[in-house]
Amino acid sequence: MTQILLIFLIIMGIITVLERNIARIIIYLAIFSLIASVGYMLMGSPDVAMAEAIASAFTVIFFIICFEKYFSFTDAVIGSGGIARRRIIPLIFTLVLFGAVMYFRPISYDTMYLGDLYIANFTYDVGGTNPVTAIYLGYRVYDTLFEALVVVISVVAAIHLSAFSDEQMKTGKIITKETHSEVHDSGLAVYAIQIICPLMLLYGVYLVLNGHITPGGGFQGGLAIASFFICRYMIYNVTDLPISKIIRMEEIVFVSITIFAVSIVFLGAMAYLPEHLYLNFQIGYMLIMNALIGLKVACGFIILFYRYIVIEHDGVEL
Amino acid sequence: METELIEILTLVLFFVGFYGLITSTNIVKSIVFISILETSVVLFFLGIGYHTGIMPPIGADLDPTAVADPLPQALMITAVVIGLTGTAVNIVMFITLFRKYGTASWENLKIKNAEQDLC
Repeated sequence: MTQILLIFLIIMGIITVLERNIARIIIYLAIFSLIASVGYMLMGSPDVAMAEAIASAFTVIFFIICFEKYFSFTDAVIGSGGIARRRIIPLIFTLVLFGAVMYFRPISYDTMYLGDLYIANFTYDVGGTNPVTAIYLGYRVYDTLFEALVVVISVVAAIHLSAFSDEQMKTGKIITKETHSEVHDSGLAVYAIQIICPLMLLYGVYLVLNGHITPGGGFQGGLAIASFFICRYMIYNVTDLPISKIIRMEEIVFVSITIFAVSIVFLGAMAYLPEHLYLNFQIGYMLIMNALIGLKVACGFIILFYRYIVIEHDGVEL
Repeated sequence: METELIEILTLVLFFVGFYGLITSTNIVKSIVFISILETSVVLFFLGIGYHTGIMPPIGADLDPTAVADPLPQALMITAVVIGLTGTAVNIVMFITLFRKYGTASWENLKIKNAEQDLC
């Protein structure tokens, strides 16, 4: 079953590569991510499947928002060289590279030594019943800290690259000549989104708070919470969020994640507790860390999304 | 054997994305193919230790031979989220470039860049 899905994915990838219309490529990317998400689920990893499902929705929204003004529909200029230079030489190069990788591929048996160790001990060491959350909050908390840092850096990079006046950012009010979203013209769509919106927020909070016992966690829940704000924008067509305050909040949350994780995990605050408090303390640690990570991811993606809208409204100056 | 087949299929997917990346003349298409490469890498990591009827690792007393390896999953969650932020930054960079040069094609970009250098 998984193999068949992978073959589907390869066919989808080839269709995407051969397509010339960019609108279609974006739709194909959405289908590709959907199939990939089912594939992750079949490989026994619901956490990653959930993250991919929400992340692919974000990717497609990011592409579509900028679509109308910035993308030309087909490749305008093909460039120098005939079909031999454009298609056949890269194909031969790719095939040679693929052959080399297949030939020099190291063949060995999979060892799950670390995975077995974690599965055997995670309920005592970190707590909860979800080993994936236990690994990224307990055994490998370093990775999570640096992941949070990468999200902060990309938000800063996006803000730096999309230069516009500080005045709009402080007030959060963006003067628009034309409305971007036309969803609010359709009564049916507005009603549907109004019904879905609170459920989505509830689902995000559920994912964050139950990340240590069920599939889910800070990353997926944060993305779901951020998608609530996208729906809100689509209904009311307003951008009244104070973005500078959200940026400040994200920085504060990042610093508190670092301090909290360092003080608990690396300084070993758990070791000073009596035995009967130990379990409650573990659950408390995972809840607080998941909540902080969820808040941080949600803040990051809200900022990125609203920056896109601002860029989109600003218009092209050539 | 099953693991090997999954490994080969994900490698094929990787090279499909690679071929798209080196032949694309449009910047947006390049960003899309980078997403495809990321997906193939995630699939490669999750396929480690795959066998038929594999179970998700949820619960207290787990049988290590029946469930999937949780370690690559924990790493891949962060990879998916970081890939999303990477795509976002890529699109912002593309928009900045488009505003400056007014084109989405690599070739045209090269020509316009050379013209601006001459001026």
